[in-house]
Amino acid sequence: MDVLRTEFTLNDMPIEVTLPVRATLADAIRSTGATGTRVGCEEGICGSCTVLLDGRPARACLMLAAQARGREIRTVEGLAAGGRLHPVQESFRRHRALQCGYCTPGFMMLAVGLLEREPNASPERVRAVLASNLCRCTGYAPIVDAVLAAQQALAGEVI
Amino acid sequence: MAVVRGHVGAEAPRADDLPLVDGSAMFIADLNRDGQLWARVVRSPVASAVIVGIEISAAVRHPGVAAVLTADDVPDVQIPIRLPFAATPECELALQPPLARDRVRYVGEPVAVVLAEDPFTAEDAAELVALELEERTPVLDLRAGSGADSVHDRLPDNVVNRVPMVCGEVDRLFATAEVVVSESVVVHRHTGMPLETRGLLAEWEEGEGRLTVWGAAKVKHFNRQALAQMLDLSPQSVRLIEVSVGGAFGVRGEFYPEDLLVPLAAMRLGRPVKWIEDRREHLVATNHAREQLHELEVAASEDGRLLAFRDRAWCDQGAYVRSQGLLPALLPALQIAGPYAWEGFSIEASAVLTNRTPVGTYRAPGVTEATLVRERALDRVAAELGLDHVELRRRNLIAADRMPWVFDLGPQGEPIVYESGDFPGSFEALLAQAGYDDLRAEQRGRAPGGEAVGIGVSAFCEVSAVGPFEQARIALEDGRFAVYVGVGSVGQGVATVLGQIAAETLGVGLERVAIHHQDTADTPEGFGTFASRSTVLAGNAILLAGQDLRRKAAAALGIAEDTLDVDLEYARLAPQRLTGEGTFEKEHPSFTFGANLVLVSVDRELGRVRVERHLVAHDAGRAVNPALLRGQLCGGAVQGIGAVLFEELRYDRTGQPEVSSLEDYLLATAGDVPAVEAVIIENPAPTNPLGIKGSGEAGMAGAPAAVANAVADALGAGAESLALPLTPARIRALVRARELNAQPEAS
Repeated sequence: MDVLRTEFTLNDMPIEVTLPVRATLADAIRSTGATGTRVGCEEGICGSCTVLLDGRPARACLMLAAQARGREIRTVEGLAAGGRLHPVQESFRRHRALQCGYCTPGFMMLAVGLLEREPNASPERVRAVLASNLCRCTGYAPIVDAVLAAQQALAGEVI
Repeated sequence: MAVVRGHVGAEAPRADDLPLVDGSAMFIADLNRDGQLWARVVRSPVASAVIVGIEISAAVRHPGVAAVLTADDVPDVQIPIRLPFAATPECELALQPPLARDRVRYVGEPVAVVLAEDPFTAEDAAELVALELEERTPVLDLRAGSGADSVHDRLPDNVVNRVPMVCGEVDRLFATAEVVVSESVVVHRHTGMPLETRGLLAEWEEGEGRLTVWGAAKVKHFNRQALAQMLDLSPQSVRLIEVSVGGAFGVRGEFYPEDLLVPLAAMRLGRPVKWIEDRREHLVATNHAREQLHELEVAASEDGRLLAFRDRAWCDQGAYVRSQGLLPALLPALQIAGPYAWEGFSIEASAVLTNRTPVGTYRAPGVTEATLVRERALDRVAAELGLDHVELRRRNLIAADRMPWVFDLGPQGEPIVYESGDFPGSFEALLAQAGYDDLRAEQRGRAPGGEAVGIGVSAFCEVSAVGPFEQARIALEDGRFAVYVGVGSVGQGVATVLGQIAAETLGVGLERVAIHHQDTADTPEGFGTFASRSTVLAGNAILLAGQDLRRKAAAALGIAEDTLDVDLEYARLAPQRLTGEGTFEKEHPSFTFGANLVLVSVDRELGRVRVERHLVAHDAGRAVNPALLRGQLCGGAVQGIGAVLFEELRYDRTGQPEVSSLEDYLLATAGDVPAVEAVIIENPAPTNPLGIKGSGEAGMAGAPAAVANAVADALGAGAESLALPLTPARIRALVRARELNAQPEAS
């Protein structure tokens, strides 16, 4: 089987992987042991594998690993810093925005990508962006609440 | 005095969230064993065919392939029915073999398994397996009956069983009725669709004769027993382990063909074997649900009293009877009477085989279908009588002072018993929370602007807390109170709730308790997680085990039990290796009450339904953790909204599934649903010491019915049958038909 070596940055660490050429970015990330990026459909619909690609939310199942060469990838493993959960992680816990937790990393990366780029996003905008991903357990309202509360918390941190 | 009380009823944080939010939780796809092979299942591409030949040589020769297994390589066994009461002699003729032998009966049926060094190779080689098939005409019509082709030769009429139920003098009641309404409802095929697909990892240790399988859920002790029997091993040498489970909803964790094939391959090849289902496979391989046709007749008096009903139902079992046996036909029959004071009814539900993916149970099985059928019909009765939908239900809900309520099914049937509850009071609590009268006023107020606004209600009685028993054991281990139970966690938070009950019973802090449920090697034999039973059965077993431990501890220390602080005495108690044991037996299931109220607006041009408000009321008996209970109710309700508006597993006329991805199978998103409002009722159950009633499925049970009724109300279509799901195209067709009907004849 043809293999390819790819280098990218994963949560601020330089990474080098050698994988079959058809491996996806999700395969590549998970092959490093960072398995918090979950795969739910492998065709870009469910969003469980959402990561930040140069700061923008992207479906890791829809990109080949080779396409990530030289790019900056952030995943759920990179959210907590200095032994503290990211405000979005804290908020998901506090607002009970997860049940089985399978979709949770993808939703959190989607939210972080949104709030970093659009800190003042309106509630309507937040809900519209969160409609990109699927959750089968919570009914979504707790996820929307969690992200809106995290937005407040992040605004507080900036000030 | 450090005895802690008040855990039960508190909104305790979930015990297992941290690894889920930091990404470290291990789901089955995240586990690997050294030297593992990957399995890929070759599946039937057609709905019905005779297998003439299977050519595996090209696949076997493919570099990186370790083996290809076909039916000749697996024991001649079939997947057994898990529940004795859901099995019949006819069912036994339609059980599924792990790999198809001679015949394939649905698209997706396993035919062969490829084992290879990596998943890519396994998938490539699976495409090299050539099937020579002689196609047959598939059976797709639920009412095909005799004369059609048969799914299984030994069952020529394609019917596995008929479930008859009779209560009271039905014909007499119909003869005296002033109003009789007939309703035909086709409940469409849809299913649980957890975001994590199924997966397994199996390892065989030849020296020890020990088989370990990771990836269990739902009913791990039964599956261990079944697997051991098929492989001719003792149950003690087989170990099933649950890891994090990404949703189950009834479909995940039953015994599927892969549950034999993956361990068997590990034993044959002497290497660990991993299998992860992909989404396309999941859509044809994991149990489907719900598809059934009901013809319901309801008899009522002029003053709006419900007298009797007759239900004839044809319930799709798919191509095989799987581990839940006849439940797809039994459960609607058991729950179609609902919370109303019928004087009689008759039911005949037929379990019918078709050449489609087998049908199992999906969250609130039977009650969801039955509620949809009955509550649609009740709206037609109300329309016929000129009564408000709510008023009809008010007049017929079983009064609290008539509990326990018994539907006597005669000498051959177990009676249906509603042991407790205040149905009218619970229903009024829902209406009050909704502001029903104001909503009707709002509906009238919006009509002149051209808006189509509708209100729908539904009420139901759900069978739950099914026995026969659960056991719990509490030991003092690793500095904590280690609680072992046989139920499973599928993401619903059961470990948190059971921890609350254990902490309350022992009189210790939540952090002092550890719930163990994952591993058949150290948990007591359990019946698993289904039928909203885990908190009721395992919770009460923990209560008994905790009381037992306290009694033993007091005796060991020679002090009075009511002054005992087990935590303070931990250091003295731990060396004595005391364990508390408890078994909670429950002979009969319990029925719980729930109701929904929904406000929708319908865009007549686009055919789009917007659910503006959705309330779900449920009698939980006692809410152990109200926040988690709300999570169950609201999440279930949103699944119900999606089920009735979007989700459908369609098949074409050749038996090919038309849905092969989540792009075709539409799940509700954050943009489609409101924040569901939960109304928690607490009328304690008299049949268990904690007073709990099952709650995991109540959010789903009445949601599709209430949404469908609301849409009909919005369109003024109360007297018409609705085709489900209520897609924009179907809504548009309904609107157009009504516009045509409304045109003056002269024009």
